[in-house]
Amino acid sequence: MATKGWTRREFLRGVAVAGAGLALSACAPKVTPKPAKDKIVVGMSRPLSGPQAIVGDSAFRPVYETFVKEVNDAGGVYVEEYGKKLPIELIVYDDKTDVGTMTRLTEKLIVEDKVDFLWPACGTSFIFAQAPIANKYGYVLITAEGGATTIKDMLPSLPYVFVTLSFSDWYQLPVLAELLSKKGAKTAYIAYIADLHGIEYSGVAGIEFPKVGIEILGVKSIPPDMKDLSPIIRDAKAANPDVFCCFAYPDQIMPATALSIELDFNPKAWVGGPGVNFGFYYTAFGPATEGVIGFTSYSPKQSDAARALAEKLYAGKPIDVQDYWGHPLYWAGLEIWKQAIEKAGTLDQKKIRDIIATERFQTVLGDTWFENGLLSKDCHTGEIGQWINGVYEVVGPEKWATAEFVYPKPPWPKG
Amino acid sequence: MNTRKNLRQIWLLGLTLIFLALLATLPLYAPTYTIILMTSILMYIVLTMSWALFSAPTGYISLAPAAFFGIGIYTSAILGTRLPLPAVILAGSLISFCLALLIGALTLRLRGIYFAMFTFGLVELIKNFWLWYEIQFTGTRGRFVIFVDNTTIYYVMLIILALLLLVTYLIRRSRFGLALRGIGECEEAAAHIGVHVNALKTATFAISAIFMGAAGAIMATRWTYVDPYVAFNPLYSFMSVLMAIFGGIGQPYGPILGAAIFAYLEEILITRFPYYYMLIFGIVLIVTVLYLPEGLIGLVANIRKRVAGGQDALA
Repeated sequence: MATKGWTRREFLRGVAVAGAGLALSACAPKVTPKPAKDKIVVGMSRPLSGPQAIVGDSAFRPVYETFVKEVNDAGGVYVEEYGKKLPIELIVYDDKTDVGTMTRLTEKLIVEDKVDFLWPACGTSFIFAQAPIANKYGYVLITAEGGATTIKDMLPSLPYVFVTLSFSDWYQLPVLAELLSKKGAKTAYIAYIADLHGIEYSGVAGIEFPKVGIEILGVKSIPPDMKDLSPIIRDAKAANPDVFCCFAYPDQIMPATALSIELDFNPKAWVGGPGVNFGFYYTAFGPATEGVIGFTSYSPKQSDAARALAEKLYAGKPIDVQDYWGHPLYWAGLEIWKQAIEKAGTLDQKKIRDIIATERFQTVLGDTWFENGLLSKDCHTGEIGQWINGVYEVVGPEKWATAEFVYPKPPWPKG
Repeated sequence: MNTRKNLRQIWLLGLTLIFLALLATLPLYAPTYTIILMTSILMYIVLTMSWALFSAPTGYISLAPAAFFGIGIYTSAILGTRLPLPAVILAGSLISFCLALLIGALTLRLRGIYFAMFTFGLVELIKNFWLWYEIQFTGTRGRFVIFVDNTTIYYVMLIILALLLLVTYLIRRSRFGLALRGIGECEEAAAHIGVHVNALKTATFAISAIFMGAAGAIMATRWTYVDPYVAFNPLYSFMSVLMAIFGGIGQPYGPILGAAIFAYLEEILITRFPYYYMLIFGIVLIVTVLYLPEGLIGLVANIRKRVAGGQDALA
């Protein structure tokens, strides 16, 4: 049979087959009986590949990685029924930014891996699909990236789900409208991305702005795949509004900013988000960011705890990785998770849920609690941010402001 | 020779039936997650096989599976609360069928890369049209789908697969299938000998869409929440093509093998090696394209030939 040696092609085929075989055998079912508890296993389905990977890797991932390291360095989470501290062990799967895969992996984590806790998937539609599953199996789910007005209506039917991120009418745009009207803004122009996020924000602005006497001169939607925004910026410039809002993602916010500078479109207020709230916005535009408005939830200047969090997450890293909107809220969510376990003294989901739903916790935001499944808006230590002298300050609500709201913003620097 | 071929056919049929029977009893003893994973693998098999039903014999590369799959998903999202499950799935397949009929009649005159581009554009077109429609007229931004238990979803998917196998078998051994292969070999020649080229292509394209729509309608109930981006995800078009090529499109069993192994391999990679998933996946694809141009089926055939050749030499 073997009359001649293997050719390279045959060899490579062999290798390919052997590789596939190895991979198959690697997945033989593990039958390790659970010993007495020596760790808390937390499972997550995250977009490690696909279009959302960049979001997931810069939003919740640095937060949970830092959190797990900090907790484990201190020995873990104290659970009374075991009489000791249990370190956190993470199981992370890649959902390829596909909702179908995410729902499957979520059920795998629950029914097969029998993880002790579930941490959230990434993105609004992902948490919409994940929340009913977590709730069905009675797993507490404190979400990170994502949140929308529609989830508010669902939350009463999802007692195990808790949403941390702030959003349009919770309580960003009412605060923005009030800030602007106090400074005398009369007209606004809104550009929004034609997806769930953009529709929601432009819809809420359409309610909140007229309430305080700001007339909306124009509303234009940006198709999600459109990259050339010049017709929209030109149209906005022709309308000559006091306020320009661009409710889209960094992919559109960045070129919209660049075009506004290029076309010398200088409204008295330029609002963009999400995008303006990231460190990389400053890296890209430097002094031109002066006066640009975005969303936020805290400033390191507000308290020692806030400063310590910024130090933990950002020290020694480029300014690009900073996110003043999401990071503190996700961190607070994890702190609540840990404190609720310690208060419950058990890993029983029902008891932990009841504690999260009813009690108050001390987090980076100060006194923190959930209200009907949403992180109470009274816990947000800021809603509206503005770049002032190269620092992303909280300017609204006034109670939390770290700087005076600048209106009108200075014109874009020339040259 | 003929009896040998018949024997082989009977053997394959028997094997298929045994395999289907095994799959049908799976929920009796398998753990829950195995059922969930198998449902997803069956879904990929259905998508890949129905893609191959049209594209393998004709040589037209369609990137439309995601469109018909998405139609099924949305049918389920809209009708799920109003109609019983079988009616919802039937509706999903029928709507996909009608749409494919329309699209096929309009565009199957396009050939080669133009057809591929059009079908890819179709997914984007439906997605954006639907997004626009939802925003303008219904004001919904996404929809929640009814819950169906895992075992039911599994059985529905299995029934869809069994029907698809039957249809594939019937088409392949009919004059219809022969004419399709004729189109793949040389479309002009087929037209000259009296084959109704466009009607045949359109009909097959539409039949394949039935199964994609049905798969989408039942899968949606597992996903619980859909929006146009979730439903019309081009990933599902590419996966169908990749899996079919991986398995080998020359033989009916190629796409099944390709989809099953590919889906399983992917599951292992995203759970065991999540941080290297894309890297390993890419390497597997490159190796396949470079060294297994006829897919796994080609590899199996090669090995068999070699073994048989060795026996002959010994004799």
